Amino acid sequence: MLGAVVVFLLGCQDPDLQAVLRDQAARTATVARVSPAVCSVMDMESPGGGSGVIIDPAGFVLTNFHVVGEPDDVRKPGPRPMPTPEKSPVETKPHESVLPEVPEPPAAELERWNREHQDASDEARKQFVDAWQAAWREEHLPKGKHHYKNKKVGLPDGQLYEAVVLGVDPGSDLAMLRLLPERPGQTWPWCRLGDSDHLLVGETVFAMGNPFLLATDFTPTVTFGIVSGTHRYQEGQGQRILVYPDCIQVDAPVNPGNSGGPLFNEAGEVVGINGRISIGDRGRVNVGVGFAIASNQIKNFLADLFAGRHAEHGTLDMSAWYMRAPREETSRRGVFVQQTFKDSVVAAAGVALGDELLHFNGELVRSANQLATMVGIMPTGAWVSLGFRAAQAEGGYGSEQTVFVRLTALDTGSSADAKADTERLASRENRRIATQSLLRDLGHGETVADGAVMTLTGPAQQTVRILRLHDLLRLELDGVVLVRTGNGEGFRLEGGVARDLSPEQLARLDREFVANPFLWRGADRALRLQGALLAGGVYVHAGPAFRFAIVGDGDPEQWYFADGRPAGYSFRDPLRKARVELHVCPAGVQPVGDALRVIADGKLEHGWTVTGPEFEAPPAELFRRPR
Amino acid sequence: MTRRVLVAAAMLAVAAALTGQDFGKAYSFPERKPHSRVEAVIDKLLPSIVKVHGASGLRTIEAYGTGIIVSKQGHVLTLEQVMIQKDRTRVVLYDGSVHMAELLPEEPSLGVRLLKIDPKEVDGELQPLWPPTDAAPLYRTGQFVVSLGNCFRLAEFSEKVSATFGVVVGRANTALRYRMSDVKYDGDLILTDACNNPGQYGGGLFTLDGRWIGFNCRLLDAKETNTTISAAIPSRDLLPYLDEWVNGKVTAVQAVVKKPVYTGVHLFEQPGRSSPPAYVDQVTADSPAARLGLRPDDLILRLDEFSVRSCKEFRDVLARFAPGQTVKVLWKRGNEVLDGAMILAADRQ
Repeated sequence: MLGAVVVFLLGCQDPDLQAVLRDQAARTATVARVSPAVCSVMDMESPGGGSGVIIDPAGFVLTNFHVVGEPDDVRKPGPRPMPTPEKSPVETKPHESVLPEVPEPPAAELERWNREHQDASDEARKQFVDAWQAAWREEHLPKGKHHYKNKKVGLPDGQLYEAVVLGVDPGSDLAMLRLLPERPGQTWPWCRLGDSDHLLVGETVFAMGNPFLLATDFTPTVTFGIVSGTHRYQEGQGQRILVYPDCIQVDAPVNPGNSGGPLFNEAGEVVGINGRISIGDRGRVNVGVGFAIASNQIKNFLADLFAGRHAEHGTLDMSAWYMRAPREETSRRGVFVQQTFKDSVVAAAGVALGDELLHFNGELVRSANQLATMVGIMPTGAWVSLGFRAAQAEGGYGSEQTVFVRLTALDTGSSADAKADTERLASRENRRIATQSLLRDLGHGETVADGAVMTLTGPAQQTVRILRLHDLLRLELDGVVLVRTGNGEGFRLEGGVARDLSPEQLARLDREFVANPFLWRGADRALRLQGALLAGGVYVHAGPAFRFAIVGDGDPEQWYFADGRPAGYSFRDPLRKARVELHVCPAGVQPVGDALRVIADGKLEHGWTVTGPEFEAPPAELFRRPR
Repeated sequence: MTRRVLVAAAMLAVAAALTGQDFGKAYSFPERKPHSRVEAVIDKLLPSIVKVHGASGLRTIEAYGTGIIVSKQGHVLTLEQVMIQKDRTRVVLYDGSVHMAELLPEEPSLGVRLLKIDPKEVDGELQPLWPPTDAAPLYRTGQFVVSLGNCFRLAEFSEKVSATFGVVVGRANTALRYRMSDVKYDGDLILTDACNNPGQYGGGLFTLDGRWIGFNCRLLDAKETNTTISAAIPSRDLLPYLDEWVNGKVTAVQAVVKKPVYTGVHLFEQPGRSSPPAYVDQVTADSPAARLGLRPDDLILRLDEFSVRSCKEFRDVLARFAPGQTVKVLWKRGNEVLDGAMILAADRQ
């Protein structure tokens, strides 16, 4: 019936009407497609609630940090009702852990153990139970100081699920939840994250969520509008938390309860998470100015959110103003350093008070706001380039120079819930599921020659050549040749004579073999990641990457970008007695500083370059022990 | 002289140092090309919209607003506000450059004022907008519109001002205005649901063809329902003012010497008190009011479409009419509401 009406109307001659109807038909189809993934997030103890969106079939839900609430040890009851004479004020609950209690081993398992250890002592039995419980704890409990109570998440199918809080990003108001399946292997409808840098002012977008918790059956409310502004900077609330550093301004109505819900573009991709509104003088009502956290910023913190970490934002530890050049007799304006600390990263790199800032990561610095926007979306530990001109004592500014600095963590203030919990990490179980989700698309691609060669050249012309053939590995470290022949064996060559490896040398070979993702392609690479667990995020050159902790000694990690390209790796090097990291800039991306960054114990070594990897099998005799 | 040359040389050196850095390009972040009609029209109009900053004062008064460039000579139209003060008004162009503005005389009947910046200080050419001068209707109810302005001062320097989208909701005569002090304008206002917020005043309301149809003024506010609606002055009504101050072309205004009208109504009013509701105290015999049938203690509610809520409003509204005109009167007697027509006479004094 409705279809007939649409067809009839489309038949009309008015081209404007036809365009409107065509847009509308496309829009309703998109809304129908994405709405099953939009959910309501609730805390059973308080009357309020927010929204969220499922971004992965395994049930990972993105929402606002302020929807998740406060961790257990600072937990207060939600919005407090006004005390009335009849009712005493709500009491603040004492500290209580929200983690589940560790269970006893299942009876069947205990019985089996008893059968196998007929004459074991009580002591041994207790040891078994302790070991079992330790393993359970390791598998099912998250690490860290603060924990959040499980949430209830309502989906448009009318079902209410329990969800566990994984990573949080209080700095810019994000949190990740995982729906707990009610049957094994359960999957959920989900939406893809889009490219928010592609948004243009005037582009149509729609916000979805459950404002005022209107829908008791959890069918989402859809509101429609245009992008009113992009790259807006919205200051934080209180202690530098809930900053919206690079957000999207929309005129689609966003109201209390929409928090955490998705902002979709016309294609139905999530381009933002709606989190706050500007208000007039009439209280917390929508005035057509809403803000969404841009999806591209979210992507910078996604790995930490999946891994259950407390994401931290980076800072340059300085403030800069847009002003008239103080050391010039011109009306020229620019951005000048106004405040910095003597021990800050920029000061260490040679940037001083009064210097003019010209570039940030190759982007022209045009205003203080824009600089804050560009820095605010970066995670801590990211390396950035800073182009500046030093203020001269005799007036004027020197010539442009570029320095590379590593952002330090932004102190998010003193409130307990905002204080960075660096040990925070999801349970192994949750990280395993996250790893499977992230690696779902990684296993594809061709496998060609089962071998590879890459060469690293250092600042003092030292070279490191890494050759792989099947499971064999040869490392040429400045004249020393180490070869791994498998099964924990290998040899080294000195002056053409083969000798046995020292334990450190063998460990070095093993760690390189396990961690280096550049020596493998396609399906083989996925094979190398077996047993790996997502450990968090790292920012490599111009993009965020996922860190996967590999099973093995020396804490090896392989790093991948979201599109599956390797980003780098790290392990504890027993020869250098340092933790080494290699950040490799992918092809086609403008590197920040050297395309290959070699970092030992956090210290950058300048001047390294990389050639390869070339996927050609090296000759087999290189891996054979000479007689 | 030498010093000036030196400065010029220094500036040239700076310009040379910055070659290759596209300072002319206004926006800081890379963007794709617009492809929808709304995106394209906003993209085209934004260079003509400026941010206006003025004297900061009380907390309740915003020291920021919006303006529209109306000439290549640097004329900028903005809403007359408290913050617009001599030597303290700055205009921020689309490219982020800041210019001190000179103040031209305001137009009190519209509540607008022209500012002027020095076009020689501007990089490149200004992109002025001008109200449509053809006779075609400006707008109709239901038409899509885009509103541009710097609401909540969200954009600074070269950042883009906010764009909101909506439809024309209707027109309203400001005689029915809710918040009388805010809208000085007397004619019909364009009402729209495209959001207007503090800071957006002085911005423009545009059709999807990029025609400048309205000039954002204050919100109309209903205290009873806590609702507001955005209003804009039809841009065409700004033409006489703009023509006079931008083009130096004074439109011959037909000086209508209005004769005062006589009704024969004496209202109940005591001097020194705030104007009370328009209760009739006496009616002169054989006057227009007597012929209509007005009696003492009647409460006058309305004259034509103008609501009358006080004795002062009764006089203000009457001043709009000329002798000989017929005016519809609505009044309340006891629990009844009565209406009728009254032919106004000339004041014999």
